[in-house]
Amino acid sequence: GSAKRFCVFCCRILQPLCWCFQRGWGLCFPACPQTALNLYHKNLPNIETLHQMKFLGLEEFFDDPGNWGEKSVKSGDSWNIKQLRGKSSEDLHKLWYVLLKEKNMLLTLEQESKRQRKPMPSPERLEKVETSMKNIDLVVREREIALRLLQTGHEKPVPGEWRHDFLGRTFWYSYKEWPIPWHLNKKHKKKRFYYLPHVNHFIRLRLEKALRKRARQQNMERTRRKILEKKFPDIAVKSQSQ
Amino acid sequence: MLAVRPGVPQPEDTVQFRVSMEMTKLDIRNYLERIYNVPVAAVRTRIQYGANNKRNHRNQRVKKPDYKVAYVQLGQGQTFQFPNLFPEKEQDAETRSFDDFRDKYMEKEKQKQEGDPRRGGVPDWFGL
Repeated sequence: GSAKRFCVFCCRILQPLCWCFQRGWGLCFPACPQTALNLYHKNLPNIETLHQMKFLGLEEFFDDPGNWGEKSVKSGDSWNIKQLRGKSSEDLHKLWYVLLKEKNMLLTLEQESKRQRKPMPSPERLEKVETSMKNIDLVVREREIALRLLQTGHEKPVPGEWRHDFLGRTFWYSYKEWPIPWHLNKKHKKKRFYYLPHVNHFIRLRLEKALRKRARQQNMERTRRKILEKKFPDIAVKSQSQ
Repeated sequence: MLAVRPGVPQPEDTVQFRVSMEMTKLDIRNYLERIYNVPVAAVRTRIQYGANNKRNHRNQRVKKPDYKVAYVQLGQGQTFQFPNLFPEKEQDAETRSFDDFRDKYMEKEKQKQEGDPRRGGVPDWFGL
């Protein structure tokens, strides 16, 4: 048989079919919990000393046992988009899985706190993890778009165009693959991508409604700002001119 | 995916999870094996229907969301017991003093409610 390779961090046997093994990585990412701590390979522990470490993966569904029963748990801020843009794709990949496991742990804690009818310690951690994962997704999408622009010159993966529907609304129509051309497709021909002149009246009404809503929001924002400035005069934004 | 405490006592090697509705048994097995490195022997799933009986202040029915429950049997003879995530911890001086203050206040309130102690618990409705 082949010589077994061990994860550098936690001496678990690497599965030959695992993609980390095939890439020649010395660690059993993403299952190894130490990847969260040693992202920079500075302190590689000795393999012999780790042979005593027993590891049960289900422990990662729960927080550090020292935090059980606490009223609140300290946690740092969520990852900013600007911070994430500076990270490499491999780092983002690892961070995604770390955040995923953290989210699973927090959801488990939330459900258990509901079951025990006790308050969940620090529920704001869930929001932070959600926003961090959303930001990673945005950064990865940006990179994909940039790569696609360089390689093909197109921004979107699927070509499309702006069209009107029969109510006069404008929407992005993305082309789909069909076995027959559109002019032979009976059901598709019943769809109307144009609008008749009598719809103009309703387009105008819709526009007025949207404008009224926007004006209302702006006014509300302005009045709220004025009230706050009256209550707390020191937060008023000072004008640049002297 | 989250681990839940089983409502009905399960065998030692069985762990109960709530998973996304779109996950299959194969998906759950791969997820646990690759991300958490947990040896999985068997997975069984069922969909729990969330009730639609409750009504809100507008008398509209409020639906509790449906969810999928997965019962995962661990391989290699491993066992799992859902831990107690809210053990009793000794309170620090601040919470203890707050609790003392609160208990004293409640006692005072109760004393105000009670009648004359010389009447021996007899209500004021009775004459004299």
